[in-house]
Amino acid sequence: MLGYTVRRLLLFVPIAVGMVAVTFAIMQLLPGDPAAVLLGEDATEEAIQDIRRALGLDQPWWIRLGNYYLDLAHGDLGVSYFQNQPVADAIGQRLVPTLEVAVVALLISILLGICLGVVAAIRRGSAIDACCMLFAQLGVSMPVFWFGILLMYLFAIQLDMLPSIGRGPPLAPALGKALTGRPADLWLALTHIAMPALTLGLTNAAVISRLVRSSMLETLGQDYIRTAKAKGLLPMRIVLVHSLRNALLTVVSVMGLRFGALLGGAVLTESIFGWPGLGQLAVAAISQRDIPLIQGVVLTFALAFALVNFLVDLLYAAIDPRIRYE
Amino acid sequence: MNFKRTLSALAIAALMLPGAALAQNIRLGADVDAGTLDPRVMRDTTAYRVINLLYDGLVQLDASLQPNPDLAESWSNPEPTVWMFNLREGVKFHDGTTLDADDVVYTFETILDPDLKARFRSLFTPIETIEAVDPQTVRITLKEPYAPLLSYLDMGIVPKDFVEGGGDLSSNPVGTGSMKLNSWERGSRIVLEPFADHWSGNVPGNGFEFVVVGDNTARAQAFEAGDLDIIQSPLSPQDIGRLAEDDRFQNAIMGGLGITYLNINVSDPLLADPALRKALSMLVDQETIVGQIYEGVDQVATSILLPSSWAYDASIVQPRFDPAGAGEAFAAAGWTDSDGNGFLDRDGEELALTLSTHSEDPNRIQALEYIQFQMQENGVNASISISDWPAFSAGVRAGEHQVALLGWLNIVDPDRLMYAQFHSSGTLNWGGYSNAEVDQLLDTGRASIDVNDRIAAYRAAAKLIANDLPYYVIAYQGYQVFYSEGVSLAPDARGMMRSAARN
Repeated sequence: MLGYTVRRLLLFVPIAVGMVAVTFAIMQLLPGDPAAVLLGEDATEEAIQDIRRALGLDQPWWIRLGNYYLDLAHGDLGVSYFQNQPVADAIGQRLVPTLEVAVVALLISILLGICLGVVAAIRRGSAIDACCMLFAQLGVSMPVFWFGILLMYLFAIQLDMLPSIGRGPPLAPALGKALTGRPADLWLALTHIAMPALTLGLTNAAVISRLVRSSMLETLGQDYIRTAKAKGLLPMRIVLVHSLRNALLTVVSVMGLRFGALLGGAVLTESIFGWPGLGQLAVAAISQRDIPLIQGVVLTFALAFALVNFLVDLLYAAIDPRIRYE
Repeated sequence: MNFKRTLSALAIAALMLPGAALAQNIRLGADVDAGTLDPRVMRDTTAYRVINLLYDGLVQLDASLQPNPDLAESWSNPEPTVWMFNLREGVKFHDGTTLDADDVVYTFETILDPDLKARFRSLFTPIETIEAVDPQTVRITLKEPYAPLLSYLDMGIVPKDFVEGGGDLSSNPVGTGSMKLNSWERGSRIVLEPFADHWSGNVPGNGFEFVVVGDNTARAQAFEAGDLDIIQSPLSPQDIGRLAEDDRFQNAIMGGLGITYLNINVSDPLLADPALRKALSMLVDQETIVGQIYEGVDQVATSILLPSSWAYDASIVQPRFDPAGAGEAFAAAGWTDSDGNGFLDRDGEELALTLSTHSEDPNRIQALEYIQFQMQENGVNASISISDWPAFSAGVRAGEHQVALLGWLNIVDPDRLMYAQFHSSGTLNWGGYSNAEVDQLLDTGRASIDVNDRIAAYRAAAKLIANDLPYYVIAYQGYQVFYSEGVSLAPDARGMMRSAARN
């Protein structure tokens, strides 16, 4: 198990090297010059060349790529062209807010998805099943963007229940305070995160509920379920322990992949709810051709994605004792 | 769970927090975060608006764009190329130091230094020298007379000692403005608090909070929900109508300082022919674009001069939408549909061209698609190319475009929209437009101090441009601001907020 973990973690190195190369190649092929964006439309060609030299953009691509790898090996992600701040700092400030929304969205989608999926499966063919699957259909097909605006219209404008924009107190410290009996911060944080997380989690919840339903239907037809029923076990126990546990395996494997979609969805969600996360940073960086920042964000996303999928594989073994890693 | 009770308990808890005085902040929606809070290198509208509160300039432009005294109490122009500025005494920076002429000199000398990468450097390059005559007097000597100078001297003055001592203004701004920085949560909010030692002695009781919400409609909704006090351009035309009808809100909808235009590349072999540029212009249905796509928040443009400008003349007009007239003009230039495929041709060559714009603005894409439709209906095989701003603008800058739809902002002086764009030596003359008469008129407009001479020069130049058509101006951009009942404001088309206060 330890050997496996080390091997998997070592694999992150080629992932990082590969991601940097791919991002670098894309930035190289994409038209648009950071120096020109930096100076604005009214810049002279001469001034642009000055800046290109200052930024080192006049050097051939292999030297720039080589330098980047060299800096990266020393843990240096470079300095953003536009924010005048180290890339690592810029990402550090934005990472936590994005993780907050992504994690809460993941929790919402897992809970909602499993509940709907299970109910739909055990009431197969009923009106409840139809409702659940209608929800799933809507959830998959509704644009994140539109759903977010709609939520805001309902909860912030019409019902006046939730704040429309912004982030409350940081979630983790607020959770700590709540555990020591001071829930005010947590409550405030939750009212702010509710709409962004629901927006982000909806598509996911829909995907998960469909998956859970179909794999539940499959396990519910197995011989061991018939045996359990024949033994006279409580129906609840049959569903939750015997059937759901096996059905969850598919969900877990998909969850890691869906995490990528969550990170991508964060870009839209953050710009709707004014959430200070990595998604907004990524959009700004790309639209400005802020190469060091783009490299940093892409690398962060890629490593986060790889890490989550690694954790999912570990979780696999925990859920299914038949799976063991050597 | 009793939701309301919990919320009111929270409100009470919030009041007991040390930051409670900030509850009175005026909250403004912003579409992007400021890239920097150093006035010398600012680039985006958010930075422009925040910096206007944090810093003072030598002058401050009023709503009609006339320069008023700010840090300079008075100025004189003893010779056409020499300007003298008398500074106010006892002006304090936010770090407690006192402003003097060296700070002013330092600000402009660093802007002129290419190493600073200052975006507005080209506005100040006519400056030969800038020097401190004494601690309260600055002398600017120009290479040649430069009438627009005063309009650009609202640039924020920075503290020399602070910057030379290693201070980083981009994240830690120190100005002389009536507001100072309280906190800046990157990508989320910029909080400003009143600066009690401001020289005017007239500091509002409230601070400001610029809240970043990228999406236009979401920002409008946050305003409707009461989570923002002021929102302003850029807004979606679709939201403006709804907000304007809502009597809970005050608004000002006025002409702005920007244009949306077609850049017609005169060095393109096809478009080098002025008669063809004129015929194509007659296929741009401005009324429909402005009325339907922009829902009337912009204004149909008639020439390169803005209605808000002292140089404006309604009698100068570019060609209007006239498909029949365009058909005759094409025929006169030898373009006919000889093979009956619906597109005009001449000497076996089809009349085809590419229209381009950038992907960030859906209204511009729609406008371009509508122009494409009109052109195709009238025998021009127009295709469309859309790419993101950096890619699009790189192509236009290199003069690789044929017809590009884009805009200019902050046109505080006709020189700003014409000299660099249409002078044959202009730095923004991407299509290489060249007309000796226009060159001479633009030189006159720049060098004359007498405003009547300037008006005559710019009108004559605008007339020539409306005929030569290196640009076809589609719309004068509007400016909109909406504000809640608790706020008073003297709206200003540049979106400046110095007049905003809590009632």
